[in-house]
Amino acid sequence: MLSGFFSQSAAGSADFSRLENASVEFRDVVKAFGDQRVLNGINLTINPGEVVAILGPSGSGKSTLIRLINQLESLSEGDILIDNKSTRQLSGRALRQLRSRVGFVFQQFNLYAHLNAVQNISLALEAVHGWNKAAAHTRALELLNQVGLSDKAQHMPSQLSGGQQQRVAIARALASSPQIILFDEPTSALDPEMIGEVLYVMKTLAHSGITMIVVTHEMQFAREIADRVVFIDGGEICEIAPPAAFFTRPDHPRARRFLQKVLDPLHQERPA
Amino acid sequence: MTLLLDWQGVLTGQPLQWIISGFLTTLWVTVAGILLATILAVLFLGLRTGGGRVGYAVVAAWVSLFRNTPLLVQLLFWYFAAWNLLPLTFRDFINADHPGAILPGNVWWLTPEFICSAWGLAVFTSAFLIEEIESGLRAVANGQREAAVAQGFSTWRLFRLILLPQGLANAWQPIVGQYLNLMKLSSLASGIGFAELTYQVRQIESYNAHALEAFAVGTVLYLLTGVIAGAILVRLGPKHARTATKKRMA
Amino acid sequence: MLENLTVITDNLDYLLWGRLADGQPGGVVLTLLMALGAAILALPGGVALACAAWRYPGIIRRVLFLWAELIRGIPLIFVIFWLWYLLPMLTGSDLPGAVTVTLALAWFTAASVMHSVLAGLDALPVGQYEAAQTQGFTAGQTLRLILLPQVMRNVQPSLVGIFISLLKDTSLAFIVNVPELTTVAGQVNNRVQIYPTAIFIFTGVVYYLLCSGVGLVAKRWKPRDPRLSLAQR
Repeated sequence: MLSGFFSQSAAGSADFSRLENASVEFRDVVKAFGDQRVLNGINLTINPGEVVAILGPSGSGKSTLIRLINQLESLSEGDILIDNKSTRQLSGRALRQLRSRVGFVFQQFNLYAHLNAVQNISLALEAVHGWNKAAAHTRALELLNQVGLSDKAQHMPSQLSGGQQQRVAIARALASSPQIILFDEPTSALDPEMIGEVLYVMKTLAHSGITMIVVTHEMQFAREIADRVVFIDGGEICEIAPPAAFFTRPDHPRARRFLQKVLDPLHQERPA
Repeated sequence: MTLLLDWQGVLTGQPLQWIISGFLTTLWVTVAGILLATILAVLFLGLRTGGGRVGYAVVAAWVSLFRNTPLLVQLLFWYFAAWNLLPLTFRDFINADHPGAILPGNVWWLTPEFICSAWGLAVFTSAFLIEEIESGLRAVANGQREAAVAQGFSTWRLFRLILLPQGLANAWQPIVGQYLNLMKLSSLASGIGFAELTYQVRQIESYNAHALEAFAVGTVLYLLTGVIAGAILVRLGPKHARTATKKRMA
Repeated sequence: MLENLTVITDNLDYLLWGRLADGQPGGVVLTLLMALGAAILALPGGVALACAAWRYPGIIRRVLFLWAELIRGIPLIFVIFWLWYLLPMLTGSDLPGAVTVTLALAWFTAASVMHSVLAGLDALPVGQYEAAQTQGFTAGQTLRLILLPQVMRNVQPSLVGIFISLLKDTSLAFIVNVPELTTVAGQVNNRVQIYPTAIFIFTGVVYYLLCSGVGLVAKRWKPRDPRLSLAQR
């Protein structure tokens, strides 16, 4: 109990304003909602600059896994180390610092509904990072250009298609030059013809030095872009492998069943 | 500055009689108002749906009129103006003593004050009830009606068995709110000399200057009655209205 | 019929602005002053309380809810009575009746505003708040820059309704003899005695015009702009 006191003050003053080492490490992480254990002893190390795809059936805990990294959910047990520093006891200013260094892209985009595209991107730069208006605006326009939406700068989110909104959301996440970006099923809420434009943007980000952790159902993306695939089911990691190995010769029986359901949905064993 | 509160001065003897009388009067006029308001609301809703363009306009005018004027002004109108426009024989009849026309608790209801108060409260509240019931009915998903039509329900059966139960469940919480509001608004009837609780509280205040004690008793009575009546009414209402209430309180 | 109208025209100045020339506003002018005064106090107050309840769920939110339930659970006239008797005790001086009524109205209305704004905050998609969290905004910035701009636009109809109720509730000053429109109309009626119908219909008409006027202006001022249809997932 007392050690918690001391480590809190130590960790609370840990400086996350710049990450030396954009790595993420899960140590014996457990997350429970009431009686239900959604994550049951997760151990995982993600290296700087890596692209990791997290796959699994619904309810497996994969969204919870990445939401723990920037503390949209809080840990029940265990610890998550970012840049080799514990993040468990972070709060207040230090936590906000960490969050501003880690980008997050939501399944539902969550663009600020009352601001147009360029304002969505520049707001955090001005209010959280203290940039002046002109500099923030310029950077926002640059990022919009990078995701191919310069002509939609003045549009409100309600005037953009799903794919366009998600691209603006990615640009917003990129604004603070994060060294780690988390993607929570970025294409699951999109109509099929818009998935491509978002995956394209993600492909351009991959291997640019930013650590990318992507929870996804898009197998092709995992196969072609990811360095490693993490398969999680029932709150536990069942298999970690490079995509080539995972997709052709999955080890774990649950992984094999999952792949069969996903890649060949019409030909399966009848459910018991 | 120290406050010396003399509860005896308020909770014994004549003041206590007044409080009890006022409280019971409030309860009775509230019940009368609620019944009358509900009847009016139902009639007007029927008029709105079945009365064509004229019916719709009449109801819209009624609602607009009684929602955009203060209740107190309406009560003053009913008591000082409209009452005198009633036929003289009717007024004499009411003004005469009717020893039989007493509600339990010694509350005389065949008096101009009671009748005008109940009527005024009912008319005012009906304008709000109409809107609440209508919203509740509108909030029933369209798919419900479509499913019933596809199964061959008649319009009346559809309304009675599918729309109304769900509509009432949606609207029950706001309806209860309106009923409780009517009870609180009955305090305004003191302005036309109706001897309900607020009137009696002020009477105590001018009788022995125990203002704070009298107000405290009145406050507690209104609060407790509201909480208890609210709980009872929600319990009496449709079952899934209760879960909606619980969600709202969570 | 015409005599009915002359009672109005004869007393029109008193009904409209009371004894304004003597520095004692009354009638419609006092009604408007009290309503606006209460609104100016209640709006920022209610918003601040809603933000506090949102920011500190737990004991503070529960206390605020309890406070709001207590205020709204008693007749408004009692709120006026309490302030009428407590304020002189607390401040040691005599406040003009209109000021006391205005403060009571503000107190009561702040509870309604708090309720409305808090409901609006709770109704926003949680994603707006989460997105702000992931970017490192403080709670204050989140409220000021992201949540409140949307919420205030969403609850505007509810706030207009609260203001219209406020206009009507100024009539309660009748009970404590503060000379706003209803009291003044009552005084004229007491004096003249024989034309209650004309007097109270006139009074009703004035309130009707004020209240429905506010409603119409509000509707026209915030048109249904599809660009502003906000996050409604």
